[in-house]
Amino acid sequence: MEKLFITKENLKVLIASLKKDCAEFIAPRYEHLDDIVLGDTKADGRELLNYEGNSVISPRAFLLPQTEELFEIKSAKNSEFIAVEDKKKRIFYGVRPCDIKALKLMEEFFIGGEFEDKPYKEKFRNSVFITLSCIKKCSPESFCFEMGSGPFAKEGFDLQLTPLNRGFLVEIGSKKGSQVIRKHKKLFSKAKPEDEKEVRTLSLNFTKGKKRINYKRLARIMRENKVQESIWDDIGQRCVVCSGCVTLCPTCSCFSIQDRLSGAQGSRFRYCDGCVYAGFTRMAGGSTPFPEHKDHIRRFFEHKLNIDTQRYGVSSCVGCGRCIQTCPGNISIRKFIEQAVDGS
Amino acid sequence: MAKTRNEYLPEKAVIERIIEESADTKTFTLRLVDKGKLSYKPGQFLMLSLPGYGEAPFTFASAPRKDGRFEISVRRVGSLTEALHKLKEKDVVGVRGPYGNWFALEKLKKKDILFIAGGCGIAPLRSLIQYVLKNKKNYGMVEVIYGCRAPKDIFYKDEVKAWGQSKNSAVHLTVDEPDAAWAGACGVVCVLLPKIKVNPKTTMVFLCGPSVMVKFAIRDIVKLGFKEQNIYASLERYMKCGIGKCGHCYVKGKYVCTDGPNFSYAEMKKLGIES
Ligand SMILES: Cc1cc2nc3c(=O)[nH]c(=O)nc-3n(C[C@H](O)[C@H](O)[C@H](O)COP(=O)(O)OP(=O)(O)OC[C@H]3O[C@@H](n4cnc5c(N)ncnc54)[C@H](O)[C@@H]3O)c2cc1C
Ligand code: SF4
Ligand code: SF4
Ligand code: FES
Repeated sequence: MEKLFITKENLKVLIASLKKDCAEFIAPRYEHLDDIVLGDTKADGRELLNYEGNSVISPRAFLLPQTEELFEIKSAKNSEFIAVEDKKKRIFYGVRPCDIKALKLMEEFFIGGEFEDKPYKEKFRNSVFITLSCIKKCSPESFCFEMGSGPFAKEGFDLQLTPLNRGFLVEIGSKKGSQVIRKHKKLFSKAKPEDEKEVRTLSLNFTKGKKRINYKRLARIMRENKVQESIWDDIGQRCVVCSGCVTLCPTCSCFSIQDRLSGAQGSRFRYCDGCVYAGFTRMAGGSTPFPEHKDHIRRFFEHKLNIDTQRYGVSSCVGCGRCIQTCPGNISIRKFIEQAVDGS
Repeated sequence: MAKTRNEYLPEKAVIERIIEESADTKTFTLRLVDKGKLSYKPGQFLMLSLPGYGEAPFTFASAPRKDGRFEISVRRVGSLTEALHKLKEKDVVGVRGPYGNWFALEKLKKKDILFIAGGCGIAPLRSLIQYVLKNKKNYGMVEVIYGCRAPKDIFYKDEVKAWGQSKNSAVHLTVDEPDAAWAGACGVVCVLLPKIKVNPKTTMVFLCGPSVMVKFAIRDIVKLGFKEQNIYASLERYMKCGIGKCGHCYVKGKYVCTDGPNFSYAEMKKLGIES
């Protein structure tokens, strides 16, 4: 598809216009000291047009929030539930390519398949995603190129911007994306050959010396149980069940459902849960199919690196590095992958 | 955007009848309040909602009926089941489903069938037993092995007796703690295996019960020559959604709620699980 170009000034105009057209404009902004965190900047204009690094939380936090009300319980006695619908239009700006790939997988998980998750679908379908591709690695821990998700998104975005010397290169990824362009035609011009050349140089610089991980081979190694037990033992010892990894991972999807009543009325909530908790699979009566501590974190790795590769053809670890950055026990899924592949 | 169903939204169901099966188990007959019926197959389960207590999975304990009524037998083990036991006839609960796979009815035609149930495990098997006995001419010999803690813990007492009185059927009971009146067998379900008449090579087996029972019963019937791919067990895992999303029931890449809860022993072995 033809590539377009927008100047920094025009991008500001575009954002101002887009803000009028949505309920929430979710963009990277500084929070606390110098953390960059996605948040609603519709009112305060704190969004960063361009930034280094990635948001501490991924867009998943807005589509599968930490807690969300699924139903209002109108009458507990009569089991009367009223669905709480979230029809807000959200525009996400500055989402990183790795997180876009994660959203693609989450779409398949929540919306594809036999049953649809309506609360997720509603929020996802009402959202527009504007990606900002990466000209620099976001952190020493990230390995998106290795996992095939960065530094540019290949699909799943509505618009993708790449920061260049003289402004931003623009790619259209969907109908929603071309609608935005059509509505703001005057703000865009055609990209010049030198723009595309600049992108190629950026890409070469980013990928220099990096190698793709053969995640199909990795899945096979795990499936055939060829990962040394000592590696799992070590990981088990390091995990303190802080659950930071499953909280930040853009492809973690596990949840629980709970009711809160006050008198005869109340709410049914769902909240994010995590497979690293021992109680995650514990049944009434106390028995659990995964009794050992190391099995819990193993379940996390197996799911991302083996099961999902079989299910989707690609690993659902997109290499964003968040779980590595947050882990107080220094567990690194990246290092695990290297050890698993090298050691077999 | 096409309007899609909210799979998490429970429908109202009224409790029409409550029967006490044992000290800790009651059978509830339910009917949808608003519309139609849940069209389920034996082996499937539903998610039952009790506002304030959440949701829990229960297997249909009766064969599908024309009038849309269905039964579940519930053991009191925790907060939701406790609250459910306190309800009365005409009270309303929420239900959604049916979920999960069903017993492979097509594969059963003309075959002998052996059911092995331990305690509460009789409930999920009952829907298939009722179904098979109602259509008995399509099936061969039907035998039921049912083990309980004590005679007072036997569910569906009169019905169980009647199961053994159909043509070409038999029921074998055993208890761990016999009372003075008990004249039947004592011990775990495996003690009854020598009594069965069905042919191991061709019989389909359905098991449900505590995980130790399932484990040992499978071990013993495999020794008797029953085929791995003909042995089905209904598995229990912690479940929150029933539709393959929440992750709780996940075992080695399978979701017990959607890929199961009924697995052949051959599949279980592949997953590396014994019960
Ligand atoms: C597919 C499927 C089908 C099922 N079908 C049926 C069915 O047909 N009938 C049925 O009765 N159940 C069935 N179950 C099990 C049923 O779903 C659980 O018993 C139920 O979810 C428990 O919910 P609760 O809120 O009462 O217990 P919770 O309050 O969630 O948990 C129970 C708590 O009580 C305590 N506790 C529970 N059991 C014991 C015990 N034996 N000894 C000591 N302490 C204990 C533990 O602390 C436990 O954490 C099925 C489960 C699945 C997955
Ligand atoms: S597993 Fe870790 S590196 Fe992989 S996507 Fe999740 S948070 Fe990112
Ligand atoms: S992991 Fe890659 S794509 Fe994601 S933010 Fe970091 S550099 Fe960008
Ligand atoms: S019960 Fe939620 S995934 Fe199976």
